[in-house]
Parts: sequence; C-alpha cells; structure tokens
Amino acid sequence: MELLSKLNSPFLYLVCGGIVLLVAVICIVFAVRAYRMGKALGVDESKMKRVITASATFAVLPSVGILLGVIALSGSLGTPWPWLRLSVIGALHYETQVAEAASEAVGAGSLSIANMTPEAFATIALLMSFCIIWGMVLMIFNGKAYTKRLSGQTPAKKNEADGKKNKSSLSGFADTAMTAMFIGLVTAYIASYIGTIVSGNGVLSMTGNWLSLAVSVVAAIAMAVFLWIREKTKADWVDSFSVAGSMLIAMSAAVFLAGLAG
Amino acid sequence: MEENKEIQNQKCYEKYLETTHHLGRILTLLVLILLLVVPFVIGAYLSAMPNLPAAAKAFAGVGLVYLVSGIVEYLIYVPMLGTGGSYLAFITGNLINMKIPCAINARDIVGVKSGTPENEIVATLSIATSSLVTILVLALGVFLMIPLQPILQSPALQPAFENVVPALFGAMACKYYREDRVVALLVLAVMTLLYCFVPSLIGSASMMVIPSGALAIGLSYLSFRKKSKVTA
Repeated sequence: MELLSKLNSPFLYLVCGGIVLLVAVICIVFAVRAYRMGKALGVDESKMKRVITASATFAVLPSVGILLGVIALSGSLGTPWPWLRLSVIGALHYETQVAEAASEAVGAGSLSIANMTPEAFATIALLMSFCIIWGMVLMIFNGKAYTKRLSGQTPAKKNEADGKKNKSSLSGFADTAMTAMFIGLVTAYIASYIGTIVSGNGVLSMTGNWLSLAVSVVAAIAMAVFLWIREKTKADWVDSFSVAGSMLIAMSAAVFLAGLAG
Repeated sequence: MEENKEIQNQKCYEKYLETTHHLGRILTLLVLILLLVVPFVIGAYLSAMPNLPAAAKAFAGVGLVYLVSGIVEYLIYVPMLGTGGSYLAFITGNLINMKIPCAINARDIVGVKSGTPENEIVATLSIATSSLVTILVLALGVFLMIPLQPILQSPALQPAFENVVPALFGAMACKYYREDRVVALLVLAVMTLLYCFVPSLIGSASMMVIPSGALAIGLSYLSFRKKSKVTA
C-alpha cells in the first residue's frame, strides 16, 4: 500500500504529466503547421475544419476505452504511469500484456500491487517503454528516406516522369490498394471473432464466445443505417458521427448481449 | 501567372516536408529519450533501479513480437499517414484502434486521394486532433478518477468497454466491405478457415493483419488488372 501511494505521488504526476504536456504541444505545433500549409496550398478551409470535427468526434469513444485501460492498470501500477503510457506511444492491448510479462520475468508473479516491489515496478516501466519504440526509431533513422521513396513512387509523379497519360488508372490503384489494405485489417479481426465461436474451445467445437462477433454485427447494422440516412438525406455531416455513433450503439448493445452470452 | 503560382506552391510544400522531417526527428528523439529515462528516474525515486537481466529475459519472450509488429506497422502505415501524420502517430500510439481508422475516415469524408499534398495535410490534422482529444479525455479522466471510478468500473458497464475494438471493426467493415464485396468475402472466407483450423492464431489477430492485408491487396490487384484490360 505504501508503494501504491508512492506510485500515485505528486512527483510521479509531475514527471508523467510533463511528458504528456510536451506531446500535446507537439500535436498543436504539427496541426497549426499543417493547417497553414493547407491554406497556402489552397485546400478548402471548410474541408480542413470538417477533418478536425470528424477526427475529434471519432476519437472520443476510443479515448474513453483507453481511459478504462488507465483505470484497469491503475490498481497495480498507480495512476500516473498508465496515464503516461496510454497518452504517449502506448496501445490499449499492448500495455497489459507487456506489464504482465515483465512482472513474471522479474519474479513478481502476475501483475498485482500485492506482489509489486520498487524494483519490479522500475523493470516493468522500462520494458513497457522499450518494447514499443520501433516505430519511433524507424521514423528517426529511416522516415525521411522511406517517405521520399514513397512519394517517388506516387502514381502522379511516376506518370509525370514517364510522360504517360494513364494517370487516372494508376492513381486509381493507389486508392484501391489502400481500401484493400483496410479490408484486410478489418477482416483479420472479424474472422478471428468467427473463429472464436467455431474453434475457441477446440477445433470446430462451435461453443466459443459469440459476444465480439455480435457486437461487430450490431455496429455494422448501425453503420449501414447511418450510411442509408446519409445517402437518402444527402447530409454530409452524418459522416462525422457515423463511426462513433455506430460504436456507441454497439457498445450499449454489448451490455445487454453480455447477459445472454453468460 | 498560374504556372508561377503552382511552382511556388510546390516549392513551399517541399520546404514544409523538409521542415516536418527536421522537426519530427528532433521531437521524436526527445520523446524517445524521455520515455526511456523516466523508468530510471522513477527507480531513483523509489530507491530501486530496473532489473536489466529480467527486462532482457522478458523482452526475448514478448518484446520480439512487438519488434516485428513495429517494423510491419511502420512499413504499412507510413504510406497511409504521410510525413507529419507518421511522426505524430508513432509518438502518440494507438494506431490500429484509433489513428489509422481516424485518418482514413477523415480522408474519405473530404475525398482526397492518397499520395497528394491534401492527403498529407488531412492526415496530419486528423492525427493531431485525435491525439489531442485522447490526451484531453485521459487528463480529465485521471483528474476525475476517484468519483468516476465506481461508474466506469461497474461490472454492468464492463462488456461495453471490453468490446470497443469489435464495435470499431464492425462499423468499419460495413463501410469498407461495400467498396469491394468480392475481395472482402474471399478474404473473410480464407481468414475464417485459417482461424477455425488453427485456433492458436485467434489470439494473434494483430499479426494476422499481414497475410490478410497481403491477400486483400493481391486480389484487388488482380481485379484491377482485369478491369483495366476490359476498359482498354
């Protein structure tokens, strides 16, 4: 208990809060620069404002989910450290897994304040920070070269260099590939929910938990309704709330469905 | 006159990208150093340093998975996020469950094409805004933690928050499956069979994004080539 009060001390709030504040300033700097550049390039300001509104509304619900991750970890790691981890670089499903692995490696058993020692905490904190740095490291050392190579391969530029006239068809595939990538991303998860039902308790046992798939189906139906409303009413603003609205409906349904799933 | 303005815009945009890289590298390095130093600072405060052999042992177990997935995420997501968006996204994290869908949603709403300066601007604005919202929600939540905790941790609400990711992917599936139903159904069938016959893969969905994405892109390319031939 004494350790938990140290982990929730003003000193830790100050250290972690300082870094969170720095990251907030970085976001503001990047946003202001992008907005100014957009204006200079002649990008429609109303479009940029719509991007900001849509992204802000989109982020609210997942952020509440991330906040729950902070709350879930705060019992064993105090509040400031999970707050920092999930505000900066962290990912909801990553943190608990790595914290648990570090806790076991340091001999503190499963992640719990009852087993926690100062040494275990410092080790867990280091591992949580270290395991997920690779995107940042690659951006520092290779980001410029990689993005330059990508822009060199941009269909528009390629066509310009080649003097070809099939600009529209090539840039068409860049967008198709992006949509396909996202279909692949979504499908990896949706299929795993079906797999959980069919083989979650043994190959083809058909007795696995169906809640995740049911929640996805409710979200998909809600999204279909939002898209239908948008198409019928031609109200573009519906787009800004369709994803967050669908998620909220599906998450509310989860509360009722969980009782049925048992 | 018009041509001069275009050349000037192009130069201005190139300078913007150059400065973004410069700023992005410095700030990413600064955040990285701070994140790696803080565990030692906290250790000093608690009068105990991190156990490095134990950290290395745990890294060999779980860290290597995140090394591979970090490299894959970098290769896949940088083309989607552009320069400014990538620096911000890798600093702020939560890529799959928020930043990527958020940036793509914003891009679709305003209808910009990938690889264009507009896409760069939209992605950066989208990721910066969503990151600020997360920071704000978390800061408010942490501040209100004590009175809020009983409500948020009430067992009745737990299924809702445990299912944020299925809710997100269900909504996004509806949106993207409409774009190419054949590819979506084929990839869904293959991935479902894979999970059904190799259930140990169910817990590694984030890694399965790689074969799933590759299959979707491959099938889309075949379909794209077929359509191009018919049009020609």
